Amino acid sequence: MERIIARFVAALRESGIRVSPGETLDAVQALALGGMEGRKLSRQLLRLTMVKNHNDIPLFNDIFNRFFSRFKPDEGEDDHRGPTDLPLVNMEGEFSYLDQLQHDDHDEPGPLLKFHGDMDPEDLQELKSLTEIDPDDSDGQEIIVQMKGYRGKAKAPRPTRRYTQNPLTMEINKSTGVQRGITFSPEEQAAMQDVVARMMLRLRKDMRRMKNDQSRGKLHVIKTIRKNYRNDMIPFQVALRRKRREKPRLVVLCDVSFSVSHASRFMLLLLHTLHNQMLNVRSFIFNREVAEITEMLANMPVNDLMETIDKGDIVDPDENSSFGTVFLNFKSRYLENIRGRPAFIILGDGRNNYGEANDWVLDELREKARYILWLTPEERETWSRGDCLMETYGSYCDKVEVVKTVEELGQVVEELLRDIYADQAHPLDRKLLRETKAAEAAQSSNYQDYYTRGSGSGSQPAFDPGGRSHW
Amino acid sequence: MITQQGVKDFLQTGGYIADDAIATAVFLALRMEKPILIEGPPGVGKTGLAKALSSALDFPLVRLQCYEGIDEGKALYDWEYGKQLLYTQLLRTQLDGYLSVSADLREAVERLASEESLFFSKNFLVQRPILRSFLSEKRSLLLIDEIDRSDDEFEALLLECLSDFQVSIPELGVIEAKRKPLTILTSNGTRMISDALRRRCLYLYIGYPELEREVAIVRVKFPELCEVLAGQMVGFLRKARELNLRKPPSVSETLDWAQVLTIMKATELTSEIVANTVGVIAKHQTDILKVTDLARQELG
Repeated sequence: MERIIARFVAALRESGIRVSPGETLDAVQALALGGMEGRKLSRQLLRLTMVKNHNDIPLFNDIFNRFFSRFKPDEGEDDHRGPTDLPLVNMEGEFSYLDQLQHDDHDEPGPLLKFHGDMDPEDLQELKSLTEIDPDDSDGQEIIVQMKGYRGKAKAPRPTRRYTQNPLTMEINKSTGVQRGITFSPEEQAAMQDVVARMMLRLRKDMRRMKNDQSRGKLHVIKTIRKNYRNDMIPFQVALRRKRREKPRLVVLCDVSFSVSHASRFMLLLLHTLHNQMLNVRSFIFNREVAEITEMLANMPVNDLMETIDKGDIVDPDENSSFGTVFLNFKSRYLENIRGRPAFIILGDGRNNYGEANDWVLDELREKARYILWLTPEERETWSRGDCLMETYGSYCDKVEVVKTVEELGQVVEELLRDIYADQAHPLDRKLLRETKAAEAAQSSNYQDYYTRGSGSGSQPAFDPGGRSHW
Repeated sequence: MITQQGVKDFLQTGGYIADDAIATAVFLALRMEKPILIEGPPGVGKTGLAKALSSALDFPLVRLQCYEGIDEGKALYDWEYGKQLLYTQLLRTQLDGYLSVSADLREAVERLASEESLFFSKNFLVQRPILRSFLSEKRSLLLIDEIDRSDDEFEALLLECLSDFQVSIPELGVIEAKRKPLTILTSNGTRMISDALRRRCLYLYIGYPELEREVAIVRVKFPELCEVLAGQMVGFLRKARELNLRKPPSVSETLDWAQVLTIMKATELTSEIVANTVGVIAKHQTDILKVTDLARQELG
């Protein structure tokens, strides 16, 4: 039995479910305790001990069915397909159509990864319609072939969310696929580092003033007593509670479709550099699909990430952006997990390609967000022309900024960070900040070289190697 | 010897209708002495399971409600500084006498050092929920509720407690659990729980129950509600869950609604009744509109 379990674990690992040796031991112990009568019970026992993530459950079920049907091809099949069991199976997020694919793709782990908890309902529809093409074709051979074609041609296999977040597997994927799209040259990266470093310097200077904020809080009674014990309990020295100082939280949604691709690339690069230094950023990219790339941003070299995005391993780059769908998916998948009133930055042109607007999601976003900032490369006059929904979406945001150059983008982000910091600062510091800001504004005319106001007539873009700062 | 069916039966006596997955998880947790991590949408009975287990197994329930900023002083143990200070003050004269016997300073310090453990003894230790459940004479049920609200640091703190059922206190050494408590962690998934913690637990996902089980739950809690009505309302709520509501009605809403309908002595579900009681099942203005629309379509 141990050997079978070990091989099953290997199959799970191959498909991206991480199972530790300890969990394997647990599984063996559980099987010994729970007995192995019935396929359903064994599956439950294995699942309880080995799958620790809700999103992995459908994948696990699928692998279980394949793996054990290979070993015992004629046992217990109807056990999990029985009509009484179906509602339960559906409830657990398993798709009933998986059964139809049972013998498809035995040796390719790739397409297998397509199934994850929240698949695009459209995909489901399409898959279903495919099976309906020829309902009386009993052997189903043709259907399977068609499906293979469908997956290979129309869509790259979409990995599970955990899978995309894993740099190692990305590395493997990298060897296949065509090179295209935009990466940054070393000079550009250096220039970027420079822009960011200067931004950091400016910000740090302001932040230093707030350092005393650290220990300003309520009286810490116990510490005060302990400290003053030597003074016979007369509180000469007062100990205050440390205030938990948190990095400002930021959630960024970047459109990566062609129309704004340069802007979003820059944005990602900016975040990549800023991440962990002073921010707690969660980053998402979208065009028609939305996917989280936070961990990849933190763990991968930036050029690899750009390549991965361009190759369409995360979202399909050939799709048109659809803000309505994206908002809806974002709400259903991620909005619940957003913590601590972050500031949202959405980068996109608001061109919805005539899809459903779904602007009510932004209303819900507002409740979670400290601040919503929308960055668009388009001028205000075009906001309601054609399929552009900027006027609609803009009304939900705290601020909509038109950014056309890299410098403008940098400034907007810096301004936002400043505001966030100021927001969390002690009232005294806030006053100080406000004064410095006013002073800066007063002499901004001779500040040109230090703090370039992008729209100002005389300002030269500091960062424009390759002429990309206009998009 | 407990079996899965046995678990199901005694949970039922505790007023909790479990499905196979839940029963198996509880069975394994009891036999393997491992914690269960339960995830699922709010209101499907995650905490309810812990309560039902505690009453059915007669394990005292020790509950730890997590929140942002919870630390070991709130969850494991704390020293009672006030009491320590008070004791040293009161014992001052005693100490003078005790130390005056010694010939020189060095001896006095040594004498005092030998008694140091007096001041860091269990006498001055405040037991917080986790330590309390570990030291309980009877096997207890430790419920760590809404673990996703706590910070990462607290999760790391839990690792030792959950894998070895022991607490390390620097001044006292390692304290092991007298009886390993049955541990249940719940999470609403507002934050990803680290893999390290997941690895130490059995993982159970509780979703919305299927029709028969939900009806059974309603019937157990409100036996006076007629079966037809129970079926109707559960069916209606299942449709409402598919409406893409901001807060989909959960099992707890089902039970609230069943209670309301019992009080109103309703015998049949009509769109009028739904309209009058919609506040029980929908908690947002937009949701209320959607649910009343659904009622008009479904019930006429």
